[in-house]
Amino acid sequence: MVLKFDYIASALFLAVGVLFIIGSKNLESSSYGSAVGPDIFPFILGSALVLLSIRLFYETFITKNQQGTKEKLQYKPFLIIFAATLIYILTLETIGYVITTFLFLFVCFQTMERSKVIQSLIISACFSGLVYFLYVEVLKGTLPDWPIWF
Amino acid sequence: MSTLDYLFQGFGTALIWYNILFAFVGVLIGTAVGVLPGIGPMSGVALLIPVTASITGGLPPENAATSAIILLAGVYYGAMYGGSTTSILLNTPGESSSVVTTLDGYQMAKKGRAGSALSISAIGSFVAGIITLVALIALAKPLSTVALKFGPAEYFSLMLLGLGAVSGLAGKSVTKALIMTVFGLLLGTIGIDNVSGIARFTFNVPWLYQGIEFLTIAVGLFAVGEVFKTILEKEEEDTEIAKINNLLPSKAELKESAGPIARGSILGFFVGILPGAGATLASFFSYILEKKISKTPSKFGTGTIAGVAAPESANNAASGGAMIPLLTLGIPGSGTTAILMGALMMYNVQPGPLLFEDHPQVAWGLIASMFIGNIMLLILNLPLVKVFAKIIQTPKQFLIPMIIAISIFGVYAVQVSTYDLLLLLGCGLLGYFLSKNDYPIAPLVLGLVLGPMVENNLRRALTISNGDFSVFFTRPISLVFLIITFLWLLIPFMMKRRGKDVIINIEG
Repeated sequence: MVLKFDYIASALFLAVGVLFIIGSKNLESSSYGSAVGPDIFPFILGSALVLLSIRLFYETFITKNQQGTKEKLQYKPFLIIFAATLIYILTLETIGYVITTFLFLFVCFQTMERSKVIQSLIISACFSGLVYFLYVEVLKGTLPDWPIWF
Repeated sequence: MSTLDYLFQGFGTALIWYNILFAFVGVLIGTAVGVLPGIGPMSGVALLIPVTASITGGLPPENAATSAIILLAGVYYGAMYGGSTTSILLNTPGESSSVVTTLDGYQMAKKGRAGSALSISAIGSFVAGIITLVALIALAKPLSTVALKFGPAEYFSLMLLGLGAVSGLAGKSVTKALIMTVFGLLLGTIGIDNVSGIARFTFNVPWLYQGIEFLTIAVGLFAVGEVFKTILEKEEEDTEIAKINNLLPSKAELKESAGPIARGSILGFFVGILPGAGATLASFFSYILEKKISKTPSKFGTGTIAGVAAPESANNAASGGAMIPLLTLGIPGSGTTAILMGALMMYNVQPGPLLFEDHPQVAWGLIASMFIGNIMLLILNLPLVKVFAKIIQTPKQFLIPMIIAISIFGVYAVQVSTYDLLLLLGCGLLGYFLSKNDYPIAPLVLGLVLGPMVENNLRRALTISNGDFSVFFTRPISLVFLIITFLWLLIPFMMKRRGKDVIINIEG
């Protein structure tokens, strides 16, 4: 598992390094006549990243194939919570903070453990209401408050 | 003005009612962060930056910076106190710098001496905190005077040393750590270049013009990443808390632990100053030292008080020592101090030698508040340790989603952008996969924070020398820094090759 990830990672970092090198070459050079423009630092770093990712690839290659103990991962709750977070983020500005936060917390609480429904309802309501009240009313901050079609 | 005058002024700042409150909230949350396994000082501080930013919004800029840093630093050293509680009572360290404490602390708890172990670790932490503060005050002025003489070439090499040291000690593979450092530095170049005004790597996306916000990255990688890990690797643990009876240590125990506390404090302080080392290493070293010089080394591991006193003093001393390079040189030596530095920079306060001249209120206010905070922690931890032990039982069912909600609220409150929230979520995923595969995250954040300064100094040095790179090798101080950097990276590598175990720093 680990080895596989290292191969992918080294390839990705190599690509990032190369892209930064190309990108820095396309930057306009310095305007005030200095020998050092905005391109030099990213260029050096990009080259360093390329060298390091080659080194990582080599290191991964010479390491003996060690099979680590495989743990059981809880994919289902993770995927639900991840999706919930994504929906929360995307709907935050249209539906508003209070409603989305309440729903998000309730869904996640119940995903973590399917028990204590009433307690979950109370805690998510308190959290979203309290944060909104303290931040918007007391501290005069800005949060998207209610659905925009209201 | 003399140092003492500044210090008194600092107390004037730290004793304003709201700053006392900020220090109190900071150490309280810090202790909670230390107690809760899963949230380390890094994610704790990162999570609280946006919260403090919104609370301090109504104050004038300099006061806001002072209050914010007082709270955030409180979280940092408060976590060092809190970490011992779970190590002793549960045999699960709340954060990595308390791992060693489990060896003797839990054994003591099993023998019914949990109370004395807890109180000794609180007292040790307090003594260490005060000793390091005195050293910090004594060293701050001279060090920043020296640092003021540095030119851009020296600064560049010094920052390289800081980055190299952190990479050399972080994680199992130096290559991976270096990759993370370089990647962090590269991320820092995105946005408008502040020397020439050219937009770099923005692809004409307006959101990228101001650069990638360090806060989003830090909260995403540390806090959200940690949360994802907890969800994915859910483990059922039975929390059986050892009973605490008679909190006060006996006279014999106090006498026995006086030496370890003193040695642990001094050792921890010096380890803390070194970039890259940190609280975790300091606690390891001091435990090993105590075992070496003890007359009865066989007693270690069976519940001896010295095995609790030394590492707990050392990790606290190290967290104080780590403030020295941050405040006087502007170079954070660890992930947590990098986040603190990022927080200061959000308030337009640049840590470094000029900090003590330009913003004496911030610098000395922070130092004075650390005195107050340490006293609060001692008071909080002795009688209230039972209350804190209860925090461990906070059901994960509620804690985990709330951390995500706080992260999202915090990032949105500061950035007001959905893109940043998406980046936050992406960083959470990235943080999980990276740390799972032994890619240390602290160097990335350090690179991101230090990136613009490294680049500015590099370009200034090169502009002065007309593009001649030899300037870094001909100036003696700069050369010394570069040689140290080189050795720092090379020696662990050579030792590993010879098959020796190298102690690495897991915490940031």
